[in-house]
Amino acid sequence: MQEVVVHPGSIDEALASKAARAEIPPERLADVVLPSRTLAPAQRVEIYQRMYLLRMEEALGIDYPALQHFLGPRGFRDLVRDYVASFPSRSYTLNRLGDHLPAFVLTAIGRRHRGFCHDLARLELAMTEVFDAVETPTLSAEAVAAVRAEAWATARLRPIAAFRLLALRYPVNAYVQSLRGRGHRHPRPLRKDGWVAVYRRHYGVHRLELSRPAYRLLSELAAGASLGEAVSVAARRPGRSAAGQTQLYRWFREWMSKGLFMGLEGLEPSTNRL
Amino acid sequence: MNRWNFPDLGIGVGLRTVHFGHILSRRPAVDWFEVLSENFMDTGGHPLWVLDQVAERYPIALHGVSMSIGSTDPLDREYLRKLKSLAARTRARWVSDHLCWTGVAGRNVHDLLPMPYHEEALRHTAARVRQVSEILERPLVLENPSSYVEFASSAMTEWDFLSRLAQEADCGLLLDVNNVYVSSFNHGFDPRVYIDNVPADRVVQYHVAGHTNKGTHILDTHSDHAVAEVWELFRRSCRRTGNVSTLYEWDEDIPDFDVLHAEALKARAYREEPAAPPVRVARGA
Ligand SMILES: [Fe+2]
Repeated sequence: MQEVVVHPGSIDEALASKAARAEIPPERLADVVLPSRTLAPAQRVEIYQRMYLLRMEEALGIDYPALQHFLGPRGFRDLVRDYVASFPSRSYTLNRLGDHLPAFVLTAIGRRHRGFCHDLARLELAMTEVFDAVETPTLSAEAVAAVRAEAWATARLRPIAAFRLLALRYPVNAYVQSLRGRGHRHPRPLRKDGWVAVYRRHYGVHRLELSRPAYRLLSELAAGASLGEAVSVAARRPGRSAAGQTQLYRWFREWMSKGLFMGLEGLEPSTNRL
Repeated sequence: MNRWNFPDLGIGVGLRTVHFGHILSRRPAVDWFEVLSENFMDTGGHPLWVLDQVAERYPIALHGVSMSIGSTDPLDREYLRKLKSLAARTRARWVSDHLCWTGVAGRNVHDLLPMPYHEEALRHTAARVRQVSEILERPLVLENPSSYVEFASSAMTEWDFLSRLAQEADCGLLLDVNNVYVSSFNHGFDPRVYIDNVPADRVVQYHVAGHTNKGTHILDTHSDHAVAEVWELFRRSCRRTGNVSTLYEWDEDIPDFDVLHAEALKARAYREEPAAPPVRVARGA
């Protein structure tokens, strides 16, 4: 019965499919499923079959509303149908059903919008991951203030669990944002580099647009580099000046205030007065 | 009173995302909430934060859809471990799921698929129910599903299967009177016979809900008010079981919280006297 339920075609196609035949040959269906006063056995099984894809579409639509909007109901339904045929749920939860969708989009969407849809799916996946991540404490202002100036170079900042960084090749963050407004004036799906941090604060999911150097610095930190190492990597660009240092300071302040970090490591015990 | 002395919590509703804000800010005078286990098992975010606060203020029962108790696949130990810890976290009064299977060969179609009702299926399911109850360290509570298919191999009625299963596996029952009605329409049996043959002392919870009549069959959509016949079945069953924790299910086109709560409170008129719920008195609060 399962093979019939998950088949994306008509009920007749489903019953005649190889996988379904291995379970029940269609001519023997009436030996397995009883008719009702109003419905033949195949019509009764069809009720379950029809609901399957609707349920998958609903679940993935919750995780990928912007992709659904971009592709339209028809396009999204086709994508879901093909996706769950390749990546059916093997879990008790639908929460992570869409985890392979960004990668799948690369094989399933036509060339013209492939890159845009891929980035859009990556951003929406990051948003659901951040939504569900475990809650971790954030680094307090007092803990930061307690660090002696000379200790900063070796300090490592650990990002909170609900944090993802993305380098994007299409304006998908602006696209997601445009769905929040009423006008629905979406950016066009044309190449445009962008960098975004997705993070959770007070149980709300936020997106922070970054400049390219800010993204590089933050990715170094997130990968475990000390502050000194991260700054030197990020500063490996000609013409970084004193103004650049001020900029770095501003970024840190902003990231701290948004609660992107949970802890400080790599401090000498004597330098960390907490 | 049921054999485990599970209390009559009164009249509750399902905890749904669209009502989170209302529930936290207005603290409506609802007797209790039913929580869909799977929605809270794998998140450390907003849903769990809301659930913790709801569980502080209201009695909770957990209701799952993925145990797949009738499946031939092995029980999912990881799922049961998480379920048990969620039950402890919310101080759940009991944990329920459905008499069904949700997939085989490692797959989950996320539907409550019907089972054939015969001796072999009964032995198989009873053994699994006992295993689950042991792991959860509490009697599992099973709900009668609504179904659209009947198997030729079935050798007994659903109510006989359910009654024997409850007895042999020593589990509780969540009697969904709407599901009884839906299945009776789809399979052509008398719903009153079903109600009259469920072991009354094992019923620890009721479900009442709305459905969608397609003419040829009824879909269990939980998208509407309950029809009069369903309320009458509820009254009939309450006469046998006495007052048991009652929950109104509304999962599609979910209305404002007050509309949902008012629909649930209709149950008062059909429960046994005294009609007032034992703990909090709702309405107008
Ligand atoms: Fe139910």
